[in-house]
Amino acid sequence: MNESLLPVAAPARTRAAVAELLRPHRALALTAFAVMTGSTAVGLLVQPLLGRIVDLAAEHGSVDAITTTVALLVAVAVAQGITAGLGLSLISRLGETTLARLREQFVERALGLPLERVEKAGAGDLTARVTADVSLIADAVRSALPELARSLLTIVLTLGALALLDWRFLLAALLAVPVQVLTARWYVTRAVPLYAAQRVAAGAQQQQLLDTVAGSSTVRAFRLEREHSERVTERSRSVVELTMRGVRLVLGFYSRLHIAEYIGLAAVLTTGYWLVRQDSASIGTATAAALYFHSLFTPVNAALALLDDAQAATAGLARLVGVTDQPPPPAGRSVGAGDVDVTVRGLSHAYRPGQLVLRDVNLTIRHGERVALVGASGAGKTTLARLVAGIQAPTAGSVLVGGVPPTALGPTGVALITQETHVFAGPLSDDLRLARPDATDDELRAALDSVDALDWAEALPDGLATVVGNGGHRLDGARTQALALARLILADPSLVILDEATAEAGSAGARALEKAVTRAVDGRTALIVAHRLSQAAVADRIVVMESGRVVETGTHDELRAGQGPYAALWEAWSDTRGSGP
Amino acid sequence: MLWGAVVGQRRDIALGALLGMGHQTGEALVPVLIGVAVDRGIVDGDAAGLLLWLGVLAVVYVGLSFSWRGSARAGERASVVAAHLLRTRLVGRLLAPEGGAEDGRLHGELANTATEDARRVGGVAMAIIVAVASAAGLVVGAVVLLLMSVPLGLLVLFGAPLLLWLGHLLSKPLERRSETEQERAARASGVAADLVAGLRVLKGIGAEPAAAARYRRISQGALTATLRAARAEAWQSGVLTILTGAFLALVALVGGRLAARGDIGLGELVSSVALALFLIGPLSEFSWVNAELAQGRASAARIAAILDAPPAVRSTPSERRPFEGRLRLRGLSYGSLRGVDLDIAPGETVGVVTTDPADAAALLHCLGRRADPDKGAVELDGTELPALDLAQVRTAILVAEHDADLFEGTVLENVTAASGGQVTAASGQHVSAASGEQVSAAITASGTDEVVRTLPDGADTPVTARGRSLSGGQRQRVALARALAADAPVLVVHEPTTAVDSVTEVRIAAGIRDLRRGRTTVLVTNSPALLAVTDRVLLLDEGRVAAAGDHERLVHEHADYRAAVVT
Repeated sequence: MNESLLPVAAPARTRAAVAELLRPHRALALTAFAVMTGSTAVGLLVQPLLGRIVDLAAEHGSVDAITTTVALLVAVAVAQGITAGLGLSLISRLGETTLARLREQFVERALGLPLERVEKAGAGDLTARVTADVSLIADAVRSALPELARSLLTIVLTLGALALLDWRFLLAALLAVPVQVLTARWYVTRAVPLYAAQRVAAGAQQQQLLDTVAGSSTVRAFRLEREHSERVTERSRSVVELTMRGVRLVLGFYSRLHIAEYIGLAAVLTTGYWLVRQDSASIGTATAAALYFHSLFTPVNAALALLDDAQAATAGLARLVGVTDQPPPPAGRSVGAGDVDVTVRGLSHAYRPGQLVLRDVNLTIRHGERVALVGASGAGKTTLARLVAGIQAPTAGSVLVGGVPPTALGPTGVALITQETHVFAGPLSDDLRLARPDATDDELRAALDSVDALDWAEALPDGLATVVGNGGHRLDGARTQALALARLILADPSLVILDEATAEAGSAGARALEKAVTRAVDGRTALIVAHRLSQAAVADRIVVMESGRVVETGTHDELRAGQGPYAALWEAWSDTRGSGP
Repeated sequence: MLWGAVVGQRRDIALGALLGMGHQTGEALVPVLIGVAVDRGIVDGDAAGLLLWLGVLAVVYVGLSFSWRGSARAGERASVVAAHLLRTRLVGRLLAPEGGAEDGRLHGELANTATEDARRVGGVAMAIIVAVASAAGLVVGAVVLLLMSVPLGLLVLFGAPLLLWLGHLLSKPLERRSETEQERAARASGVAADLVAGLRVLKGIGAEPAAAARYRRISQGALTATLRAARAEAWQSGVLTILTGAFLALVALVGGRLAARGDIGLGELVSSVALALFLIGPLSEFSWVNAELAQGRASAARIAAILDAPPAVRSTPSERRPFEGRLRLRGLSYGSLRGVDLDIAPGETVGVVTTDPADAAALLHCLGRRADPDKGAVELDGTELPALDLAQVRTAILVAEHDADLFEGTVLENVTAASGGQVTAASGQHVSAASGEQVSAAITASGTDEVVRTLPDGADTPVTARGRSLSGGQRQRVALARALAADAPVLVVHEPTTAVDSVTEVRIAAGIRDLRRGRTTVLVTNSPALLAVTDRVLLLDEGRVAAAGDHERLVHEHADYRAAVVT
């Protein structure tokens, strides 16, 4: 399963992709960096000024001199505040703009991926990237990036300032670094796999909860309450266990940092004692150095704690870039309006090597013809439909739609509607306009009307503006399928493939939908996979399939009159319906 | 409820609070000790003094490090354990046979309550610990400051809260705005997930470019909103920097003057400046604690609402006994049903045809005792359902609804879920031979054998959550197999074959008839293939029994019936 997941970019490629995204904002990046550096540098004047006040007090100097120094402190605060505000907003503008571009590129490329590829990877892979990975990076950009930038600048400049006071202070402060480096390495090697395990456990718990809660009436009907309670408890317990492991890890991390803090602080104080004794530094300078080091605690801890955020965001970034680096879908030739015939020659297909589900199928659908595909489950109807729609490339043989392989066709021209349905979250009219973005309200109404959906659509709380789909007004199976047919009319393709598009509606709804289907495919070349024979009966031609082969073709009357499988099917079907239609 | 969750973890909370106080005391002492070290060591030029105070600093560091570790660990443990217990209780209530807890709530919302809300209520334990510890840090800092100099101490003690209050005042309107803007940003991610979820549909009509364009528009809208929020946040941070800097300058001014006059030592000046900076920490923790408590209260209210939801039906303890499966509806009125009478003898197979799906739904609710009828009653072997234990009712009458869910596990585990047979996870083998036969018969009768043949690992093929890895037709057959395998004295099946082709449907109908021979079976369906295998049928129209009799006869003689079942 794993080798079929969508690609992940190599670290070098990820860096290159980020550089590419940042290139248009070079000026912004430089300005942001300069302003933040300035802001941090100004902030570092605080400690020497405090040191100066200590010196003035030690000399029992003039009160005015102290007041002047304090006024300077206030000026420093104001300057630092203003530049920090400016710098942080510049940084977030840089990060957010880049992030928006990245996610847009990603979604565009993700939607363009061949369906076969997405299915092989499992739909969860793409969904996880579009939600979890994007929000992971967004969080990093939003909170970690400004904090990290600020902390790193503070650390570098503070160390510089320590060196300016006296280079020996810097040496003393750097005594803490080995411990910090070891601690960071110790932490990251443990944190990355642990946090990955935590995410998996949290996901599993959420999944189990949804599974159990959504299926609660089934759970009660089948008396599975105990089993499901245990399932949830077990998942929750593993979350608890992993959380506590994470807590212990973080605590160990900070305990080690405490050691580093102490080593550095003691060293700086001792150095101060030495330098003062040798008259190389004033008491004020020693105080400033100690205060500098004390003020490093917060940014150092923050920067180190952000390491795993950065690590996680980088991993997420690699997964996004892996998809954005996929080649864009072929521009696609469009099918001419006049000549949409389908030619299938010697078509065979196997999903797994050696297991043929289609064997040497030949079929021609003339322009404007409506062909019904009939046969038992597993006869290969859906596979044939997918191959004609160009979702899958055949193992052997050829499919041509208007003379062109459907896999090379652009996004318009061929439409495939299956029993797999989806209502897009948002206003109903937005959902419909996905099929034709420039459709007028009247066109939307007309499309709904021709599938008998206008009445209920207008009766919704806000009419066509009603928010439907996930989190909105719920539409039942029959309405959802009617919506799919209305989209089909708006998309206005020349070739339509319907794969049991009326199946989920239940028997009563299916009949109404059949009428809608008839109107929706009117005037188009159509291939209809039908499990209700009433749908087959009204087609121009019927193709009967058995174990991957076409075993019979002809009109309803021709086939019924014969002795073949269709006649038998029809008899079984109409028998159960009493007198028949 | 919130209180109960906290009291349940009182030992960890007490331990965490105690150690937390130790930690904060240590943190407050660090700046003081820096000052003392400067004073005794550097100012006096005394190496022994410096070493002594560095030693004291080391002891304080060890103490604060360990107490912090213990405090945080106890706090986190209290939080996650409390959350876990709440989660378990919630799921217990949601799944309780009495039902009623999930009514009117979205599934995602319920799952969220069980994770996020439970976590927030658990988080209150941590908030209490932090509040106690911060208060301790504050007290220690205050005492030290006041001991050094009363005016300086008072300045810091009144100035620091004032500073925080000002910062809070400034940020409040910004916070509110940034919240709504963040919500807008979050929506972009929702839209992307929704588009990916509907990828097949998009590709089916070639709407990928339109979808990408829509996403780009929403993403740009979100970007504008986020930028506004980020800018506001950046300036808020800038203003806070100015306020803190000004406060520090004020402390330095007063402290410097006192030191210049010799009222306080140089070390005390250093300590007071460092303490002023330190005290901002524990003070700002209080606003965090406040926010946590508010969130905890809101979450606790949501959890309590679910735990206290009135049950849909009540269970009466009753003795276990075998049922022969006589089912009787007496003047049943519920939902759209208006006085339905029906008497089903043990072992009979009866079809129920409805003109309105609401009638079918109402009937299924009453038979499965998901709700009690407004008027009339359902009787099983002469006893009204409310007089029986709920577990017994549902074991005796199995209602298999059209949209029943499959669960994570293998196909076989799903089929055997309710058959009483134990499936060992490792081998998937059946322990009980008798129910093994029942299961394989159910698999054949429901047409699941065909499904199993096409799956890569046969009956051991894993099914993902809610059966999403199977097609609609496959799901339906596996669900039917599960219902048949349970071998209930009374089986009520609702539209089991809507996504199955007509040939298979005829096979399934025969399979149900053969497998259920001698057991009471109710088929709520409009499918003629299924109705053809019933002993008799019933037509419900506008909530009443409109016709009853033999399927074949009604198809020929009853126009409404024909219209309902035949195209």
